[in-house]
Amino acid sequence: MRKLTFLIACLFLVGLGLVNAQSKSISGKVISADDGQPVIGATILVKGTTVGTIANTEGVFKITLPGNAKNLLISYVGMKTVEIEAKNDLVIQLVSEDNLFNEVVVTALGITRDKKSLGYSVQEISGDDVNKVKSDNFITSLSGKISGIQIKNNTNFGGSTNVIIRGSSSLTGNNQALFVVDGIPVDNTNDNNSGQLTGRSGYDYGNAASDINPNDIESVSVLKGAAATALYGSRASHGVILVTTKKGKQANVRTMNVKVSSNVTVSQIDKSTFPTYQKEYGAGYAMTGYSDGAHPGLEHYADVNGDGTIDYTTPYYEDASRGEKFDPSLKVYQWDSFDPKSPNYGKATPWVAGANGPETFFETGVSTTNNIDISGGDKNSTYRFSYTNFDQKGVVPNSQLTKNNATFNGSLNITDNLKITTSANYINTAGKGRPSTGYNDNIMSSFRQWFEVNVDMGMQKKMFDLTGTNATWNRVAWDDGSAAYWDNPYWLRNNNYETDGRGRLIGYAQLDWKITSDLKAMGRFSIDTYNELQEERKAIGSSAGEFGVGRSNVTSGYSRYTKAFTESNLDFMLNYHKTISEKLDLTAILGTNIRRNSSESVYASTNNGLSVAGVYALSNSVDAMLPPEESLLQIGVNGIYGSVSFGYDNTYFLDATIRRDQSSTLPVKNNAYFYPSVTGSYLFSNLIKQDWLTLGKIRLNYAEVGSSAPALSVKDTYVANAPFSGNSLVTVPNTKLNSDLKPERQRALEGGLEMNFFKSRLGFDLALYKNNTINQLMPVSVSYATGYSSKWVNAGELENKGIETSVYVTPVRTKDFKWDLRLNFSKNQNKVISLFTDETGNQVTNLQIASLGGGVSINARVGEAYGAIMGSDFVYTNGQKTVSGTTGRYLKSATNDQVIGNVTPDWNGGISNTLTYKNFSFSFLIDVQHGGDIFSLDQWYGTGTGIYASSVGSNDLGNPMRDAIVYNNPNAATTALKIASGYAPTSGGTINPGVLADGSPNTVRVNNQNYGADGWAYNPNAKFVYDASYIKLREVTLNYNLPKRLISKLYLTNASVGIVASNLWIISKNLPYADPEASQSSGNIQGWQSGVMPATRNVGFTVNLEF
Amino acid sequence: MYMKKITIILIVFISVLSGCTDQFADFNTDKKNPAVVPGESLFSNAQKELSDYVNNTNVNINIFKLMSQYWTETTYVDEANYDLITRNIPANIYLRLYMRVLTDLKESARLINATDVVASQQAAKKNKLQIIEMLDVYIYSQLVDVFGMVPYSQALDINNVYPKYDDGAAIYADLFKRLDAALTNLDANSGSFGSADLYYGGDAAAWVKFGNSLKIRMAITIADADNATAKAAVESAAGKCFTSNADNCLMNYLTSSPNYNQLYVDLIATGRHDFVASNTMIDIMNSLKDPRLSSYFTQVDTSTVAGVVKLAYKGGQYGYLNSFSQSSHIADAIQAPNFQGIMLTYTEIQFYLAEAKERGYTLPLTAAQYYNEGIKSSFEFWGTSGLAAYLAKPEVAYATATGTTWKQKIGLQSWLANYTRGLEGYTTWRRLDYPIFNLPTSITSYTDIPVRFTFPVNEQTLNAARYNEAAKALGAGGDKVTTKIFWDKY
Repeated sequence: MRKLTFLIACLFLVGLGLVNAQSKSISGKVISADDGQPVIGATILVKGTTVGTIANTEGVFKITLPGNAKNLLISYVGMKTVEIEAKNDLVIQLVSEDNLFNEVVVTALGITRDKKSLGYSVQEISGDDVNKVKSDNFITSLSGKISGIQIKNNTNFGGSTNVIIRGSSSLTGNNQALFVVDGIPVDNTNDNNSGQLTGRSGYDYGNAASDINPNDIESVSVLKGAAATALYGSRASHGVILVTTKKGKQANVRTMNVKVSSNVTVSQIDKSTFPTYQKEYGAGYAMTGYSDGAHPGLEHYADVNGDGTIDYTTPYYEDASRGEKFDPSLKVYQWDSFDPKSPNYGKATPWVAGANGPETFFETGVSTTNNIDISGGDKNSTYRFSYTNFDQKGVVPNSQLTKNNATFNGSLNITDNLKITTSANYINTAGKGRPSTGYNDNIMSSFRQWFEVNVDMGMQKKMFDLTGTNATWNRVAWDDGSAAYWDNPYWLRNNNYETDGRGRLIGYAQLDWKITSDLKAMGRFSIDTYNELQEERKAIGSSAGEFGVGRSNVTSGYSRYTKAFTESNLDFMLNYHKTISEKLDLTAILGTNIRRNSSESVYASTNNGLSVAGVYALSNSVDAMLPPEESLLQIGVNGIYGSVSFGYDNTYFLDATIRRDQSSTLPVKNNAYFYPSVTGSYLFSNLIKQDWLTLGKIRLNYAEVGSSAPALSVKDTYVANAPFSGNSLVTVPNTKLNSDLKPERQRALEGGLEMNFFKSRLGFDLALYKNNTINQLMPVSVSYATGYSSKWVNAGELENKGIETSVYVTPVRTKDFKWDLRLNFSKNQNKVISLFTDETGNQVTNLQIASLGGGVSINARVGEAYGAIMGSDFVYTNGQKTVSGTTGRYLKSATNDQVIGNVTPDWNGGISNTLTYKNFSFSFLIDVQHGGDIFSLDQWYGTGTGIYASSVGSNDLGNPMRDAIVYNNPNAATTALKIASGYAPTSGGTINPGVLADGSPNTVRVNNQNYGADGWAYNPNAKFVYDASYIKLREVTLNYNLPKRLISKLYLTNASVGIVASNLWIISKNLPYADPEASQSSGNIQGWQSGVMPATRNVGFTVNLEF
Repeated sequence: MYMKKITIILIVFISVLSGCTDQFADFNTDKKNPAVVPGESLFSNAQKELSDYVNNTNVNINIFKLMSQYWTETTYVDEANYDLITRNIPANIYLRLYMRVLTDLKESARLINATDVVASQQAAKKNKLQIIEMLDVYIYSQLVDVFGMVPYSQALDINNVYPKYDDGAAIYADLFKRLDAALTNLDANSGSFGSADLYYGGDAAAWVKFGNSLKIRMAITIADADNATAKAAVESAAGKCFTSNADNCLMNYLTSSPNYNQLYVDLIATGRHDFVASNTMIDIMNSLKDPRLSSYFTQVDTSTVAGVVKLAYKGGQYGYLNSFSQSSHIADAIQAPNFQGIMLTYTEIQFYLAEAKERGYTLPLTAAQYYNEGIKSSFEFWGTSGLAAYLAKPEVAYATATGTTWKQKIGLQSWLANYTRGLEGYTTWRRLDYPIFNLPTSITSYTDIPVRFTFPVNEQTLNAARYNEAAKALGAGGDKVTTKIFWDKY
């Protein structure tokens, strides 16, 4: 509050400074022509002088006129400047600028261009669109709002977001879009290690572009095609997301604008993305256990109480729920019967489902975002300062994410022709307790795959609270309380957590020099640098798991990963603009870019566990530490570029660009390469000139973009392993490098049609494109018998062709009510045209991107879209799934190299509606993905272990499906004869739909009494491939702008309150118990889920105040 | 004034920074990994990797302790049921042996060969190359024993990414030649790798014995297919092979990661309880009252009466769900981190010699003597007492031992003595067809028990033409687990 008072005071002082000693003055009022409301803060300037003032909260101004004063200039952001004769009692109406027809968009290298002159597709959205929903990663807010871009919103807390523009175009390289903020490329590395990316274990540390502060964003412009990005050089070949930040505004009189905003958002898990558990059968892998008694699943020869008779005990070790049927009258010694601190110590308790299932493990997440933004400027300078604090508590216990973001930018005109601009943005992020990902060491893979539904989560919590130990349900045995596979989730969350931090500075200094009125020069030095630390802990007493350097199995440990990253860019650009004749307009650009990247990392960990409990330090290692994993990647790129643009009669536009890059990552002999682009557009509406047609434009372009290799792909080295008794151990790496690499090349053709009818009541932008990336730089997989698993080559071709459109309609527009509808649609068809062909014509037809759990792999396969999911398939007889005549299970293909799905979706779309009524505005966004497949390891194992509600119930005979199979002739000599005798009416088991090998309908029952019935290795992988389509209610916002009359009394210029909800409802999906968007990380390895977090529903409340 | 200054600054900047690409080669030089290393370091690494592969029991890599039915699995029984596909086990064998061992050996030989040494080191240099050659032979013979045929003559050449598969018998023939040449060139009286040799500490004389012992093993393996070659090889090598357990080829693992026995990782460090004794092994040993039971396994309380303890050896039913707590576990000594990696043993050779004698080869001792020596050295190796009584048992004593043929007698005892050595146990069963194995749940017929591994699935995609040729060359059975490999005649 004190801050606020201070600000208000400042504001007054500024105001007072402006309205100085007046002798002769006039007064007037500025109102908006649109709604008649006062235009608060409109600038009034005496033409030809520096004398000016601003309109007050009622739109009223007074101004002292110098002797020679004639006219006033009245201006306001977003409105047309009005020039009017200086008289008393003026009422000036300002009209909104007609944005559309003179829409200016930011294009490559930060060059602002008239949108209508562009020969390629650019889509821009406002900063508001990505700032309403407060999240840790603004990228997620792009989903559904822009065509041609596929965003995958990971459910990992603080996790990474996958951003693919117009399909994957690189087989093994980074396919993520490039982020550029105010002309500075911002690193978007995903630092998750390969074990994390391939779903083994680890944390999702997010992608580095999430450091960009949504509060600072003025607009986001997406450059989709190669023609739009050609000037950026090689790494922009996957599209560019251009962010323009807010700046202070130049004004004839010094202004200051203060904005304060606050948001609180609460999150809860979306239960449709979490398992529903069965409540009928408890722990065990089979009902037929290890004894011949009445309850074999509970009889383990354990006389727990020493009374001389065998007691019933849980099969603690068996992390599945295919055991004994629940029966409250059965008293069983369960996991909580053995600790003296337990309320159930020494007691056998009823054999029932846990009262509190794993869904009760989740808490309500809360995040708060507070921002203050001070900006302003005068005739010669602008400034803006902004500070944002984001603090989030996740839905799993002991998880926290904090971001502090402070930015300052300013510009100063040193002379009329020379301007300096600087910007510095410091970002500090700190994470704690990010949820685990992948198969191992992840509570979610226990909840989704390996669980005993007799376990009461409430009791797990209680026992952790009471004992402070890993009092796990998954004991090794009744008399051995150590954790078999899974720890007590509460103990785990409170002990085995990671922490991470990143301190980052992004900034630039720029000099703009207007040499002549036609020729401008720009020089800029920019830097993006950060230091990152990731620490992981595993407390003594944990179940064993892969950990640290070498991923050996340990029961405790500590690891730290440090990284120092710096990218610097030095840019010089000459811009020549000349109106050659009345109709012909020329712009020419010549520039150079010198880029240097350095990324250095060290990963070190304790070896074979921690020596002393609770001390997380490398020095606390049981055995001597393994050699840390070190890497130093340096990249230098020198680029020179030029472009020429012609505009004729404001109707015909032609652009041509060329760039030459020289990259350090390629062999010196091949390291320089050129690539061109040509674009043209034609505004046919200038010729037709019809009232209904406001704008009509066709455009066409062709571009080529070269790409260079990742660092260190050229010269072979050896790899040193840990020494053995003083002997050094050295090995030949698995990948053979290549000293003949050449640049990769993308060829892109794009055409488009843009139309606007009835002064923006209706319009669309349509683009058709075809991109082919050839000479792919990739480590192609080779037969292991060569001694390598892969070798770097230039080969292969990947094609993306597609159609994308955005449509906008304003069905209703009255004085008080407005309804805007926007639709984005994109369909990208991806195809691997070829991979590697050697001199003898032998062709590699499959390139494995990743080999994942369950025997499934993600591949690039000739003739298929990128991301073919391969694994074992059903065996088909006459197109029907074939079932074994002896087991009733589906037959599996002999090998795992069958294509059983594809990651690539058919199309994506979004529909947003905004309804504005007076001061209220309501909007909602529906986000759709159609197609794309996903293999669920969760279902593969989880159906096998029988934890899901779908694994119980009645079979076709009306009997419980988990009942034993009863044959009409149980005494027949062989299983085949028993089956032939038919099934008794009391039989359990289920019948898999399909046919037998002879083509007849299957009648053979599969036994549901053990884990082989549903999931796992007894069934083909194909059974667990799901359609990843979804329809989501992505965003709902309700905003209320407080009436100006009211707020003016509070010395405010603007105030609004709003409710913002995100991911409120998954309207439709086909993947059971999980969010189809969930995955382990961003990157090329998608289409596979294991132990994913549930999605969260988020509802927030926002207050914005402007002074 | 401003303008001038700025112009100067700009000119200086551009001239200094534009076109400075001379650091580019340096940028692209890896500063964290060596480009030049001694060949000996690659050899040491290959030895460790080889021993790690041979001795581990990871379900993704080495399931031979299951295939030999020494052990079985508890809860997750897929591998005991011969599921080679889900975990890509054949591909992992290629990966381990070609990529991690053979390549390093090849590079080691190349570097050692290219290193000029002083005259006094010439003999050692030559010896190093012979030792590498012997390990090559050891590995390729194992690869053939698993797959029947593998890429050999065209393997390990990154410029030929479609290496052809060579006929198993042809590979064996070439391996004999190479082994003989290496033995001829190996000078027992000179040095070699010194401490960089993790198996024998550079003792060339020990390697001479190793080479001859390996020759005997390879000869006996192919004896049914090529008796003449086998006979000549055994007779030439028998006098120069291992003479006691002291000659065993072992890897002396250390107690800590990553230099401990990989078996420790799979059995202890993972915290998993996946493996128990199989009933195949326990039932036979129980019936023989074999004293090595206590060296091989632990006892378990089999009492069904509370309060009454009845300790006994009890195996898990092979390939079925088994309770860890109610089955015999692997003996503690075997689970120790520094349990020795076993590459080739005196015991194994004695049984080969017994067999050779039965096949009519000219050897100094009788089959029974070799047989007894095999059992004796096994007891010795495991530190088990009660040898004399055991040998005296009618079902053990060679003359009276159970079995209508020597194959059954030698097969059983060789299998028992080769315990923990999965591939050897599995090969013994395949070659001699004894002991009788149990059937896991996945198969119903004895003839469905795998007798070879299928080629890696990724060979079908990465090396398709050669794969198809090889599958065809395997005969009518093709690339199936039931297709017998060339030496498996019975």
